[in-house]
Amino acid sequence: MKTNQLLIFAVVCVVGIMFVNSSAFIVPEGRQAVITQFGRPIGDPVTDAGMHVKLPFIQDVQFVDKRILSWDGYPNQIPTRDKKYILVDTTARWQINDALKFIQTVQNERGAKARLDAILDAITRDTISNHNLVEAVRNTNLILDYIEKKAEEARKKVEEGVLLVAEEEEITGEIEKILTGRENLSDMIAKKAAIELKDFGITVIDVQLRRIAYEESVEKKVYERMISERKRIAEKIRSIGKGEQAKIQGKTSRDLQTIDSGAYLKAQLVKGKAEAESTKIYAQAFSQDPKFFEFVRTMDAYKKSLSEDTEFILSTQSKFLEGLRKAP
Amino acid sequence: MSYQTYNGGRQNGSFPDEYKRIVNSMRDNLPKILMGIGALLFGAAIFSSFYTVQPSEEAVIVRFGKYETTTQPGLHFKLPFGIDESIKVKTKLVLQEEFGFRSTEGGGQKATTYADGNYQKESQMLTGDLNVADVEWIVQYQIADPRKFLFRAQDPRRNIRDISEAIMRRVVGDRTVNETLTTGRVEIASEAHRLTQEVLDKYDLGIRIVTIKLQDVNPPEVVKPSFNEVNAAKQEQEQAINMAESAYNKIIPEARGKAEETVSQAEGYATAVVNRAKGDAERFTMTLAEYRRAPDVTRTRIYIETMEELFGRFKKLTVIDDQVKGVLPIFGAKGSQKIEEALR
Repeated sequence: MKTNQLLIFAVVCVVGIMFVNSSAFIVPEGRQAVITQFGRPIGDPVTDAGMHVKLPFIQDVQFVDKRILSWDGYPNQIPTRDKKYILVDTTARWQINDALKFIQTVQNERGAKARLDAILDAITRDTISNHNLVEAVRNTNLILDYIEKKAEEARKKVEEGVLLVAEEEEITGEIEKILTGRENLSDMIAKKAAIELKDFGITVIDVQLRRIAYEESVEKKVYERMISERKRIAEKIRSIGKGEQAKIQGKTSRDLQTIDSGAYLKAQLVKGKAEAESTKIYAQAFSQDPKFFEFVRTMDAYKKSLSEDTEFILSTQSKFLEGLRKAP
Repeated sequence: MSYQTYNGGRQNGSFPDEYKRIVNSMRDNLPKILMGIGALLFGAAIFSSFYTVQPSEEAVIVRFGKYETTTQPGLHFKLPFGIDESIKVKTKLVLQEEFGFRSTEGGGQKATTYADGNYQKESQMLTGDLNVADVEWIVQYQIADPRKFLFRAQDPRRNIRDISEAIMRRVVGDRTVNETLTTGRVEIASEAHRLTQEVLDKYDLGIRIVTIKLQDVNPPEVVKPSFNEVNAAKQEQEQAINMAESAYNKIIPEARGKAEETVSQAEGYATAVVNRAKGDAERFTMTLAEYRRAPDVTRTRIYIETMEELFGRFKKLTVIDDQVKGVLPIFGAKGSQKIEEALR
């Protein structure tokens, strides 16, 4: 008797639990659910998290993600409009905004990835190959302002006579003006993709050009160009140095000659003036009695010019020997 | 046969007997069993309704999968049996993503070795002048809103990485290789910080970027030597200029000194010349004054004094008397001719 009651209680409990278990379901945060009845979707997708109910046994629940999902593209080799081969690696963020359509058209995330791969790759390829390389590399024309600013600075420095270290002129080659820019390109890709993916219940939040790299053979050439550019810059710097050196050497020689000759000029002037003055002094003094001067000066000259080694023959007729000749 | 060994434990009683015995004992002890189950459930309820949040964390509470609340560090109460679930998120921790390299803890506690061998694809990027630069950087971030962090995106960390790579390339793409390698570092980091935060905010991921810092920024390996050559050229340039300047500095001051010397010498000479002239003039004037008092006597005196000195000085002095003939051969024909001329 008691055993039977216990058994019935147990059976009721089990059936009740099965009933509850099959009619209540939990939608976790970040997920959404579609209720299907024998495979046919019923009502709107459940997007709110929490406990929900459905008919037991005959209805099923399928969950899909509600969060932002990432798509990672395979790096594609794409020629740009200016015929440069680059590897473009894109990523996208997307969301399932219509769970029903999503389940109907692609079933799950793996199915969605295949569609995203096909659509985003094609659009990326089209968009990149319709633009020049710089459009995918640069976002703005700020670099042109930068170059302009640098050139302006260089000009000013030249005007001020400051030495140019070639760094100011390191920008090489033509820098094209861009019309679209990197961000706009990725927006273009995102917008086009969004239109095509709408039918799959997918919204594209954004597409980012994550990596852009030269294709290997191009890379080599770019490196070669970079090397030759650096070499050129190095040569330029060296030659500026040599020029500067020559300038300084020239200045040295100029200053040296200026100083030397200036000193010579000054010295000659001083000497000339002094000599003129001395001449004047002599003239003034000696013109008081030129004859006497002549006599005295001659005597002096004799004293100075005739040395002790002179062989001298004196006639007794000379005035000096007068006393020798005539006895007093 | 194998059945025997398998059933070894039950050989003492038949199956129905044992069943009856278990049911009977269950019936006898029913209240005790129920009480035991109740106590177990109660214990489990108590145990599963408390949780601790560590100081570096915040906890997100979900009830039947739905977000309920976020709790701060401390001891908290929640509904038991998995009705409420707590997810702990380390919000105070600064997390780091590395690009172009990975720091790995080395053997020692302080040693961090940097492995950057295979991450070149992350770090190589095109600059605005279509050159290539190797840029390594880190992004440090915190989880500002654990709810958004948990439920807004499937893989927030991957989003941060993807976005940071795209943004860094966009920022570097607007600069020249030279600016990237030298003066632009700080500006690049701060612009990348601003733009990355902007994009993450657009996604509403509940992430706050603490800092973005550039690590090694280099030209590509093959190009490096030529970049070094430019630096070497700069050194050479400086050296050439310094050499020229040092030559200038060596020569010119010396020349200035010599110039002054020349001028000073000239001035000295000038003074000497003038003084000599003055002295001579003075002497002459003074002598003249005395001479004028007795001209003849003075003349004669001076003459005689001069001759005296002169003739006294000579080592060899010949005196010839006109009256005496025949001395001429002493000097030879030529010599005598000279003497005759002199005497004439």
